[in-house]
Amino acid sequence: MKHFLDWLKQIFSPPLQTDPLLPPLIRSLADTKERELTCDEVHALLDQFAEAVRRGEDAARLMPLIQAHLDMCPDCREEYETLLHMMSVPD
Amino acid sequence: MIPKRDNAHWLNDLQSPGEARESALSDLMSLLQRALPAGLSHWLSPDNPLFEDLIADVIQETLMRVINNLHTFEGRSQFTTWAYKIAVRVALNELRHRRWKNVSMDGLEGGDENETSLFEFPSTEVSPEAAVERGDMLAILQRILAEELTEKQRAAMNALMLQGAPLEEVAQRMGTNRNALYKLMHDARLRLKKRLAREGLSIEELLDMFSNK
Repeated sequence: MKHFLDWLKQIFSPPLQTDPLLPPLIRSLADTKERELTCDEVHALLDQFAEAVRRGEDAARLMPLIQAHLDMCPDCREEYETLLHMMSVPD
Repeated sequence: MIPKRDNAHWLNDLQSPGEARESALSDLMSLLQRALPAGLSHWLSPDNPLFEDLIADVIQETLMRVINNLHTFEGRSQFTTWAYKIAVRVALNELRHRRWKNVSMDGLEGGDENETSLFEFPSTEVSPEAAVERGDMLAILQRILAEELTEKQRAAMNALMLQGAPLEEVAQRMGTNRNALYKLMHDARLRLKKRLAREGLSIEELLDMFSNK
């Protein structure tokens, strides 16, 4: 009987709804650090970071704050990826 | 054939009056003409009639910025990588602006207030007890959001996280700049994270709840 009532409750209860901002926001909180570089600080170092990557160095380990910002900031990530594409063209 | 220059030669030539400078500028322009299409073709098809004009505009603006900012080049990377980095910023800002200039972002410019649709959890695999628990949790989270975020922060987060708008474009509409907006968002995220910790809410458990299992 209890299972039947539970089943009825489940069928007739409205789906849970919430602020659509919550899922992406909670995901971003998981990666939020006390100290994060800003876009300007990353831009100042992006050429060195990209060259380190092109040399095959573990740039993410050598410059973890830059990697963390690139993981968090889609604008800077796009700029980094575009820079790598440009650097792949032979002089 | 573009002559190879090391950093000192680039700086020396670009700071010398006359032919050396003209030649260095011309060589940098040729390098940008080769490299930019490789970077920008991921954004705009080279067959697009606007592509060539975009490349020309970006090169012109980049050369100007390179000359004006030569004193900031510290030689920690190759000069050409530094110049490419400047070109990337110029190009993507322009492309982002073109793509987003006609898109409205609610709450940032005092414009029309549109109702945003609610995020709906799939309910089929959730037991009634779990649904009640999840409903309670959502109510707590929504209260925390309401208490911790200003209207502007919420509007900016909606534009960035839900619409996928670029920081540069959101910042411009808020009358600020990209760097300040990133700081504002970081402060807000950090405050929320600390509040969740104070309330004894685990981010891992919340992530599980939102993972749509």
